[in-house]
Amino acid sequence: MSALAAKQTPTPPLVSIFILSAAALAYEVLLIRLFSIVHWHHFAFMVISIALLGYGASGSLITVFQRRLLDNYDHVFIINILLFGLSSIVCFVAVQQLPFNALEILWDSSQWQRLLLSYLLLTLPFFFVANAIALTIMRFHQQVPLVYGTDLIGAGVGALLVMLLLLEFSPDKLLRILAIGGLAAGLFALHALSDRQKVLTVSIIVLCMLTIVMTPQQWLALRMSEYKGLSQTLLIKDVSLRLSHNSPISQTDVIHSPFIPFRHAPGLSLQSPAAPPEQLAVFRDGDEMNTIDHVTDNSSLEYHDYMSSSLPYHVHNAAKNTLVLASATGTQILQAHFHGIPRIDAVEPDEQLSLLITDRYADYFGWQNLKDKVSIQTISARGFAAAENHYDLVIMGPSGASAGGAAGVHALSTSYDYTVEALDSYLKLLAPEGLLSITLWTSTPARGNLKLFATAVAAMKNAGISHPEKNIAWIRSWNTATLILKNSELTAEEIRRVRDFSQARSFDLAWLPGIKRDEVNKFQLLQEPVFYLAAQSLLQQSLSAQSTSTGEENSFIRQYKYDIHAATDNRPYFNNYFRWSSLEELLSLPGQAGISMIGVGYPTLLVTLVQAAAAASVLILLPLVFVKTDKKQDGRRSDIIIYFFAIGLAFLFIELAFIQKFTLILSQPLYAVAVALCAFLIFSGLGSLYVQRTIMTGSKIIIPFILRRSVILIGLITVCYIVLLPLISSTIMSLPEIIRIASAFVLAAPLAFVMGMPFPVGIAILQQTRPHFIPWAWGINGCASVLSAILAVLLAIDIGFNGVMLCAVVLYFVAWFSQTKNSA
Amino acid sequence: MIIGVFFQLVFITGTSVMADEYSLLRQQMVDGIEEDVEITSKYIDKKSFDPAVIQAMNTVPRHQFVPEYLRTQAYQNRPLPIGHGQTISQPYIVALMTDLLQPQPGQRVLEIGTGSGYQAAVLSHLVAQVYSIEIIEELGEATSQLLKRQGYDNVSTRIADGYDGWPQHAPFDSIMVTAAISHIPPPLVQQLKKGGRMVIPVGTRFQTQYLTLVEKDMRGEITTRQLLPVVFVPFTGGH
Repeated sequence: MSALAAKQTPTPPLVSIFILSAAALAYEVLLIRLFSIVHWHHFAFMVISIALLGYGASGSLITVFQRRLLDNYDHVFIINILLFGLSSIVCFVAVQQLPFNALEILWDSSQWQRLLLSYLLLTLPFFFVANAIALTIMRFHQQVPLVYGTDLIGAGVGALLVMLLLLEFSPDKLLRILAIGGLAAGLFALHALSDRQKVLTVSIIVLCMLTIVMTPQQWLALRMSEYKGLSQTLLIKDVSLRLSHNSPISQTDVIHSPFIPFRHAPGLSLQSPAAPPEQLAVFRDGDEMNTIDHVTDNSSLEYHDYMSSSLPYHVHNAAKNTLVLASATGTQILQAHFHGIPRIDAVEPDEQLSLLITDRYADYFGWQNLKDKVSIQTISARGFAAAENHYDLVIMGPSGASAGGAAGVHALSTSYDYTVEALDSYLKLLAPEGLLSITLWTSTPARGNLKLFATAVAAMKNAGISHPEKNIAWIRSWNTATLILKNSELTAEEIRRVRDFSQARSFDLAWLPGIKRDEVNKFQLLQEPVFYLAAQSLLQQSLSAQSTSTGEENSFIRQYKYDIHAATDNRPYFNNYFRWSSLEELLSLPGQAGISMIGVGYPTLLVTLVQAAAAASVLILLPLVFVKTDKKQDGRRSDIIIYFFAIGLAFLFIELAFIQKFTLILSQPLYAVAVALCAFLIFSGLGSLYVQRTIMTGSKIIIPFILRRSVILIGLITVCYIVLLPLISSTIMSLPEIIRIASAFVLAAPLAFVMGMPFPVGIAILQQTRPHFIPWAWGINGCASVLSAILAVLLAIDIGFNGVMLCAVVLYFVAWFSQTKNSA
Repeated sequence: MIIGVFFQLVFITGTSVMADEYSLLRQQMVDGIEEDVEITSKYIDKKSFDPAVIQAMNTVPRHQFVPEYLRTQAYQNRPLPIGHGQTISQPYIVALMTDLLQPQPGQRVLEIGTGSGYQAAVLSHLVAQVYSIEIIEELGEATSQLLKRQGYDNVSTRIADGYDGWPQHAPFDSIMVTAAISHIPPPLVQQLKKGGRMVIPVGTRFQTQYLTLVEKDMRGEITTRQLLPVVFVPFTGGH
């Protein structure tokens, strides 16, 4: 190291590191967006998770070749920046050329080879970025907290920047911008080069930038899977793409099909004399179709009366106002309008969807006739429910196409709209005699609707309703089910109306006060009347004071093949039905069919974890084979693994848990991701800079104290948040948006600040004892971060996000204990 | 002249060898289907599919209905891509859906979603006339020509909106709907004969998740029944 130190320049290329880190994080977010459009979100998550192992690979490479690389640091740094800029484009184009079909992966082994090749290609850009940063950390080992802090702050700014850029640019255009931005980082790292080298380097960078600018757009155009709904719709005769709009959360495409009408009418009764009118189809990320009705007169809406979601209008036939939650493209608004509701409030978190019906296609949708009595707010259902309003009817309709839910594509998506706390808050919105109505798609075997029923029963118990069985009506059509909840008992007249409505439309009764088994399963026959059996069992348990007091699990829920436990804010995975006890049976089914019974989401996560763990093990252990070490001098190496692995896992555990907590506070998942990433990375960066200042001004002896203090503070603050956040959330949820965003920043600040300390402190300790292991530690930390993102979701599904945060605290303490000997 | 005859003989012999190979593969495919039925017989209340259905599956040259580069895989018990974002269904699912329709000689069957034409070809061996509608023009025209070339004269095809059925040839003894739908189209129910059956598979192109069987009784009343492809059934036993 002394030879290296002699060549050391006084300050690290902080501007370059800042830009590079910002570009890399923005690129990561962008790739998830791009692959969510091209394939599906869960595959995007899998591919990008594995690609991030580029950070681990970098650590391994530098560990083995550190002397040679550091001797040429100035050149290697710039070369890696150049390679990041170029590979970010080239690798994406190359991956797009691979004929990879995610849906065929269970049938065709060659798909696995293509997937592996995708991993390898997408790993490269992250590998180059990690090389540049890790080598800088090595080269400027006296200023590790400064470099690391700059890296984190840059990444935080990148997180915010990519969200803003995605509002303006389509993902494929943004790819160019980020690549050029990444290359620009090289222009700020020229100071160590000779004049001739500077000219040459600037020329190369400018040439690369020009090449990226000149790259034909068709090379970068997204090649969406031909099996996505949008791709297939575009094959139909005379279909035209009316509008394509990108936002940070989705790509919205509006399609017109004059030759073959869409006729989207979830669960329309076979008794319906009316068909849907002409419609525009609205696809999100090429799937999840919603429609906009072409409203000409009231008769064009008659079909709305023949869907199961129309039930509440018949039960409460004097409703004066209605609240439509998650109104999307307005189907439920039209249904309320058709039933003559005088005042309709609607909430939809995705403003783009609302703008389609109130602005772009306002005439088509008939907004002119609606605008005086309908208001649409851009907010989530939960955010709105925190306010104190009262409605005769509160409505949630089915959204998107049905296949996604059954296929388990959304299994890993959190939803705060269908938790016990959510339903509880919706019930509080009801006026006396008001009804809450929720319609979902059905699947076979039944799962989502049963989970909704369990959640509803739990919510009613929370609300102090002692006999929920008297307050619930539940019906089902061929492919939808509608659940009605009331704060008071359903009257005999209301029960009669449910029966009449269902009979006239050939819908099946699933639950009504006083229902008998021989009344169910009449029209849409199931092998077993599972809806009725589930309702009966869940409601019986709710009556049992003993089982409630002992917390005994309902036998139906316990024995059912799917996880249909009530979803809560702590475990908001409403769409996940996987249970470990069913895995063996499912996998033993002939013909690999079991996988579609589980749904693809959870297995994808498991496969990703196994792949990432295997790759991480190799990347962590491989350098040890090549690096000659002095056992006496180096001592145990397990403490390095434990420390850096533990803090890598823990950091992401807490960060991901806060994204979830902020989703509830900010009402918008997009804001939650942007604010949490930005706040955590920037404040952690500041924490790291604080460590730098402390080390510079104090003695090295202070390092162990910083570690101890930071870990204890992390533990204390986290535990405080676990206890207080639900209270804080409910207090600030109804405040103006800007205050909620500011509050989220303030909430994240103290915890993130102390979380920024353990990594630079660990590196500082390592530098005192075993500096040649610094890149290895960097790689271990990178691998752990990748595994952490996957593990956090797996853990949250089973133990909730509070459990994930507690695990993080334990990991920080494990890390501290692993260093007590070294730091002493 | 001699050389020409020689090459003709080689060609004919070669074709014959290939045909034998496909015939063997087809028999293996059918054996596989029958084994699957036996394994799960207690869940479907029958030990085998209708022999006529099995015979049809053993007759139709499935390899003719897949892209040339996939012909070697044509008889594997798996779905295969055929272009245009469409697939040819897993043989087991084709047999199951065909068996559910309970096809009889002399019947008329409507198929919504011609796709590769394989399902129509299987049905054509079992009923008098198959009417098949495809929504994608290019695919529909290509399949129509293929069916003609293969000699399936009792299959009529058209490019149209399957939602409206084919009123000119209604009523139908049974209807197969292989297109994604948000509700059961009332026109199709109207075009179904009393006592008729309609089968609707639900799922992605590569995974049939369940089948909906729509039955119209002799009074004209409709019931639907959700069925899982039998390979799934063990999972649903009890709860």
